[in-house]
Amino acid sequence: MLFPTIDFAIFFAVAYTVNWLLNPYARWWKLSMIALSYAFYGWVGWSYCLLLLATTVVSFGGAAWVSATRDERTRRIAMAVSVGALLGILGWFKYYGFVSVNVDNVTHAVGLGRAIPLLQVGLPIAISFFTFMAISYVVDVYRRELEPAKPLDFALYLSFFPHLLAGPIVRGTELLPQIRRRRDPDAVDYSRAFWLILAGLFKKVVISSYVSSAIVTPVFTSPSQHSAPEAIFAAWGYAVQIYCDFSGYTDIAIGLALLLGFRFPQNFDAPYTARDLQDFWRRWHMTLSRWLRDYLYIPLGGSRGGQGQTVRNIMITMVLGGLWHGAAWTFVAWGALQGLGQSFGHLRRTSRVRRGLPPVADGPVRIWVQRFLTFQFVCLGWVFFNSSGMAQAFAVLGRVLKGWGQASPLVTPLLVVTILGTIASQFVPTLSVGRLQAAFSRQRAAVQVGLLGIALLGITTFGPVGVAPFIYYRF
Amino acid sequence: MTDARIPPHQVQWESKSEWQSHPHAELSPPPDGRVRAPWTRVLALGAGAFAVWFLLFAPTLQHNAQVSPVGTRRTVSLDVVGPVAALSRALGLSHIVSVTGRGNGLSSGSVGLTSSGPPPPPRGGTRPGPKPAHGSGGAPPPTTVPPNPKLPTAADPLRVLIVGDSIGLDVGGPLQSDLAGTGIVNAALDGRVSTGLTRPDYFNWPAELTADIRSTQPQVVVVMIGANDAQDFLGPPDVPYTSPQWNTLYAQRVAQFMQIAGSGGATVVWVGMPPMQSAGLSAQMSDVNAVVQQQAVKAHPPVTYVSTDKSLGTAQGGYTAFVTNAAGQVVNVREPDGTHLTPGGGQVVAQQVIAELQTLGYHI
Repeated sequence: MLFPTIDFAIFFAVAYTVNWLLNPYARWWKLSMIALSYAFYGWVGWSYCLLLLATTVVSFGGAAWVSATRDERTRRIAMAVSVGALLGILGWFKYYGFVSVNVDNVTHAVGLGRAIPLLQVGLPIAISFFTFMAISYVVDVYRRELEPAKPLDFALYLSFFPHLLAGPIVRGTELLPQIRRRRDPDAVDYSRAFWLILAGLFKKVVISSYVSSAIVTPVFTSPSQHSAPEAIFAAWGYAVQIYCDFSGYTDIAIGLALLLGFRFPQNFDAPYTARDLQDFWRRWHMTLSRWLRDYLYIPLGGSRGGQGQTVRNIMITMVLGGLWHGAAWTFVAWGALQGLGQSFGHLRRTSRVRRGLPPVADGPVRIWVQRFLTFQFVCLGWVFFNSSGMAQAFAVLGRVLKGWGQASPLVTPLLVVTILGTIASQFVPTLSVGRLQAAFSRQRAAVQVGLLGIALLGITTFGPVGVAPFIYYRF
Repeated sequence: MTDARIPPHQVQWESKSEWQSHPHAELSPPPDGRVRAPWTRVLALGAGAFAVWFLLFAPTLQHNAQVSPVGTRRTVSLDVVGPVAALSRALGLSHIVSVTGRGNGLSSGSVGLTSSGPPPPPRGGTRPGPKPAHGSGGAPPPTTVPPNPKLPTAADPLRVLIVGDSIGLDVGGPLQSDLAGTGIVNAALDGRVSTGLTRPDYFNWPAELTADIRSTQPQVVVVMIGANDAQDFLGPPDVPYTSPQWNTLYAQRVAQFMQIAGSGGATVVWVGMPPMQSAGLSAQMSDVNAVVQQQAVKAHPPVTYVSTDKSLGTAQGGYTAFVTNAAGQVVNVREPDGTHLTPGGGQVVAQQVIAELQTLGYHI
């Protein structure tokens, strides 16, 4: 079920009412929210609910096994088996097709014939997100950072519909304590929630849809003859499109959770203001970044070894992070670019420290040059991320080099203003947004209703007919 | 945090004292200046805002419902939205939306007409004729030789128009790119998702094609439409998909479309729908393909029909997700939905169409 639809509006009105009416009755509240979450997920296809249930059983059982075991070696084995089982489920659905085609082509090339059967396995929506949440739960229990949850609490933690389809990737330590407590029905933080939902809808329905249809889709569909300015604006445009799409989804998810009385972690923090790749990944898809850091990068050794080991760990983490997004060489290339960018930044910083040099003084010019270069590097990565194959990515990049001297009818003033305006909006201080929310919360009800209704009208009026699924739904 | 080990069979399902204790500390309002409200007031606010929006936007919602696929959902939507839309019009509120407009009018995922390749020569342009024989006396009169579309050059590129629905778009992107990459073809693409020939109330393809032909003057038109056509014709009277009249009416629509496509003297190539993973949808596509094939033979001049049954299917014309391409490599040609094509699948059909054009004598 897509958030920006009438179907979901009706669903949420029911879920919201049930949530607060049953709030005093713990078990009924949990059962009803689990049922609603499974109904939300099953809207796409009921068979997917079985997968969610299987993941719930495997991770809950795995964590219980870990928790019930005293011997450290057996605990470790229990954790590894549980995580392996979860990764096995993810690997089967997400990577089998990709692996089988590539293996088949290699074995045919060396004359070995078909080594493994070619099967097209449908990718269940959201599997990457809830699998990562399940893994984090098992590992946190293994690390003794989290008590095993009660069955209903855990089932709700994993399936809770506001985060289910595309995150944020909420930790057990963040959400389980909230699930265990009754929420205050008289203190709904509605002004912030409505702001997040409307801002998210605006970003997704208006900005992302417009930029996609105005330049990104035409250029990426047939890059060969578009001009260099069009290719450049398509790359910048995709940066805006994916930011508005994904952060828009996240804003809506956080806003919905807030209306139900839950706080989700922040997932974006003005990523295009970043001054280097490390800074970018502290601001972009923050819950994935910290997941990769805590469950992959640090267990690999992090930066505790020498320079070479650190670079190796960064590269492994980012390439696997790329593959998490999808089974394609373009995602591998995207992850590798992120790894190279971060490794370069790491080496540059540590080389100054090693030579005993003081940090370079920050001036406005230096800061803005860093921001500009970082944004261009991020856009280079987005070209691979949005391409259906390496050939398409190189075709788009080739136009940047060779497409000068042609007309650029797609680069319109409205498009330029939209792209630059969206990037510029990331420099608006959050304090002023907070003041607006506070001012709204003090208005009379009639004024609030009018403002909300008109905002909705503006979004639906300027959006296209029909809304494309969120980009991150396919991951 | 605690490292207390609690065997699963001893886990309490609920802890009443914990549940009834004060709300979680994290939810206590921080000093941010925002006023919190009871959930019932928030529900009333949301419902009020929705009602305002619904009243103002009802005419547009009614239009969207009218052009949606026939079925219970459409009927219920029209029943619910109709009275509110009437009220909105009566109060003159619908003007607000009509004043602001409706975006760019494109459905999400569609591609409006885009052109790739060397620019076509100016209209009515000529190219130099053969040089006069050496030694002939006097200056020969200027000759104008119309360019042969089957022998395109960078100066006189072949003009190709590709039109299609979402599956047509899956093919159209690679086809446009491959054709434009020859350097001697100007390829224009107009793709619209969720469209077809049975619901001109939703998207009027004949009018769109007429406009495309006027603006691009194509010498070849490639059509791949039909994935959404196995549905009722809206009347009055409605013509159900399963009725005998449906084939007759659909054949008329296809024939009209072929006539428009070839109206400027263009060669028309119609690409058939591939087999689908869903047996029901596959049978529907067979019905659609059969009508197209019949009309292709009847058209004047005949339309070239390109079947994708085997290029995207098994040797028997059944569904498969993997085919071996011309280079001998296994390619995943179908999206997991069992309907749409992957970029690799689009590429397979694009090469098939180019080969067909070469068979028709186009030197590209």
